[in-house]
Amino acid sequence: MGFLRFAGVLLAPMLAYGASDSTADLKKLSVEQLMDLEVTSVSKRPEKLSETASAIQVIAREDIRRSGASSLPEALRLASNLQVAQKNSHDWGISARGFNTELANKLLVLIDGRTVYTPLYSGVFWDAQDYLLEDIDRIEVISGPGGTLWGANAVNGVINIITRNARDTQGLYLEAGGGNELRNFSGLRYGGALAENVDFRVYGKYSDRGDAVLSDGGSAAGSWRMSQGGLRIDAEPYSSRNRLTLQGDFYGGDENLPTGGDAKLNGGNVLGRWSRRFSDDADMSLQAYYDHTHIALPKPSNGFAPAGILTDDLNTYDLDFQHHFRLSGRHRLVWGLGYRFTHDSVGNAPTVQFLPARLDHDLFSGFLEDKILLRDTLFLTVGTKLEHNDYTGLEYEPSGRLQWNFTPRQMLWAAVSRAVRTPSRIDRDLREPTLLPAPFPDSILNGGPDFISETLVAYELGHRAQLGATLATSISLFYNEYSDVRSTTPAPAGFPSFGFPLVFQNNLEGETYGMELSVTYQSLAGWRLRGGYNLLEEHLRVRAGQVDFGNALNETADPEQQLSLRSSIDLLKNGQLDVALRWVDTLHNNNGPFAGTVPSYFEADVRLGWRLSERFELSLVGQNLLHDRHPEYGFPSAAREEISRSVFGRVTCQF
Amino acid sequence: MPVLKALALALLVTAPPLALPAPAEYQVKAVFLFNFSQFVEWPQEAFPAADAPFVIAVVGEDPFGAQLDAAVRGENVLGHPLVVKRYRTVGEVESCQILYISDSELARIDKILNSVERRSVLTVSDIDRAAERGAVIQFTNERNRLRLRINVAAAKAAGLTISSKLLRPAEIVGERQG
Repeated sequence: MGFLRFAGVLLAPMLAYGASDSTADLKKLSVEQLMDLEVTSVSKRPEKLSETASAIQVIAREDIRRSGASSLPEALRLASNLQVAQKNSHDWGISARGFNTELANKLLVLIDGRTVYTPLYSGVFWDAQDYLLEDIDRIEVISGPGGTLWGANAVNGVINIITRNARDTQGLYLEAGGGNELRNFSGLRYGGALAENVDFRVYGKYSDRGDAVLSDGGSAAGSWRMSQGGLRIDAEPYSSRNRLTLQGDFYGGDENLPTGGDAKLNGGNVLGRWSRRFSDDADMSLQAYYDHTHIALPKPSNGFAPAGILTDDLNTYDLDFQHHFRLSGRHRLVWGLGYRFTHDSVGNAPTVQFLPARLDHDLFSGFLEDKILLRDTLFLTVGTKLEHNDYTGLEYEPSGRLQWNFTPRQMLWAAVSRAVRTPSRIDRDLREPTLLPAPFPDSILNGGPDFISETLVAYELGHRAQLGATLATSISLFYNEYSDVRSTTPAPAGFPSFGFPLVFQNNLEGETYGMELSVTYQSLAGWRLRGGYNLLEEHLRVRAGQVDFGNALNETADPEQQLSLRSSIDLLKNGQLDVALRWVDTLHNNNGPFAGTVPSYFEADVRLGWRLSERFELSLVGQNLLHDRHPEYGFPSAAREEISRSVFGRVTCQF
Repeated sequence: MPVLKALALALLVTAPPLALPAPAEYQVKAVFLFNFSQFVEWPQEAFPAADAPFVIAVVGEDPFGAQLDAAVRGENVLGHPLVVKRYRTVGEVESCQILYISDSELARIDKILNSVERRSVLTVSDIDRAAERGAVIQFTNERNRLRLRINVAAAKAAGLTISSKLLRPAEIVGERQG
């Protein structure tokens, strides 16, 4: 907890919404009445030792509610250290510190400890990740490598989505609404107690979204419908030292595609966790989950092979153990072991294939990290993860972090870390058949049998401060060195291959550097202002003596700068007005070897909320209000989809 | 969805009474610290001067943020204006009337308690068994409700008189360190 507290200090201004008013009310209560109040705690979970000495931002539930977000990607716009680009009505590109391509693969995303990336390309299908936002406790967004604790794929960042304990979601919650783009949606949760110290909730939600727009103004035929439901049970048998959690979700949906047909996606998961606290500085947890995802994606003809449907069924079984304890006064250790089994089964389309179609993989991992108190306020954290995967064998991801709390409210930190992005199925197993007879090329693009892990060595420096009661600041600087980054090597030019098939290899390398700045100003009169600024410079190049079909353009699609400003004001007694402005610099992308751009843009979101009574709240949300439509992603072409202005109303009630 | 709605309506009958949004733990604890200043009596010599401020000192990582400042703004104790001061280590702490020992000081709490022993300081902490270790008041959290544990012998040794308004709902802890 102690280490989390520093994050708590920074969070306090956010959690202290209208604190002056409610504090004044609390002061009127007697001691007994104060003891009767139910309180919410920042966090009870075992600390993650590296979190505070890193570029972490925490999105609190209240932030999500006040932003008017209707989906996880929209909520993630609240973290100014992320790049969030909406591609169409149902796809997003989300990354930290760059590399936000169609196949973005350097961000690890967890929902309640369950990894949600797909081993097809190590990215996240954001359209398949959802939750009743009201029941999300917080989202921790860490930019920078987290491989030492979280393992492969935590290369440029980690997103931890943490839902609320069932004990904190008692009663009935209902929400419903609709508008022009988010055509209609509804959500429901009921929480109750099964027995003393055993609480549960069930929830369900549905949404129906309209099409994005093509750059010529025509409809992109991309409407999207999604349903999700789930259950969570939390128990504290015998004493609060033992906590048991059992939870599960299922979802299903379909989305129209501008290229024709409907994509279908569905899945489900079940997770159990037992955590035990031995003392204030010793605890352990054991977690197991099963996750199934299914997608069916129509793939158009590539000019040679006909259209067809690509399906993927992924079953993941995961077991994870962590133990955290203090060794003498100066060492806090955390170690863990993990095992994951994935069974992936692809139904190949004529144009896009994964060979072998069925693949079983084992992933073994272990880590050890020691947080050492060097002097009164100086900590050194060293550790490493060791992982064994079936593609590249043993991988190691060490890091060292120095944290100096030079005043109670200011901290300097520095870190050096190594992280890896292990091969995904697309890197090794991909085929894009042409059906042409020999000697013509039989495929357009192939995975590389020798594709190895991409590696990063990252150098980071950061400062965080709570200046007085009203101002909190954070600045992070980073310098990243990447090697063995994915490239596409063409076959010999000329007859009969014409440069095809292209093959994935590891021939890119380079550096990125930049900074992330965030400032929160909290006036005690119910007004909060938050600003964020990101700078990102990317210099990737083809390794000497090698060739890349994509001219080293294909692994990045990022704005150099990004600016956000968010104002939250309490109006009168029951109103709330939130205004969010964002400016995103020109995004540089590519189509094969050709460079393209998405123009820079300014956009604004507004939410006006009105509490009618203790049970009912009305809100009106406007998203992307400054333009009829604007692109956020994609190579310039008539097929590029643009995001329209969206307005919707929402009513929520709680019993 | 219609199925879920029907389920919800069926369950509605057993719905518990309305729960207002729960305040944050440290917002309530900040109000408790303010209440301590009102329900405990300090001896005159606890203040270096008649117009000296009443100081709530936080040692270690501050969990309160702006909450504590909001709880004491404009308040006073018998004419002593209430102020909050924050310190990195106990060595930096000057005169104070309430000393909140943060969780970050877990390894040093005994040293901190020793250093203020026999001064008229109300020591408060969340640390496990803080009251047994000699802190005057320890907060505990029982299923999201705050409880107080009070070491009356430690209060007596510090020359503090605790009102029955605090003692009645609290758990009284005997001091075991002799």
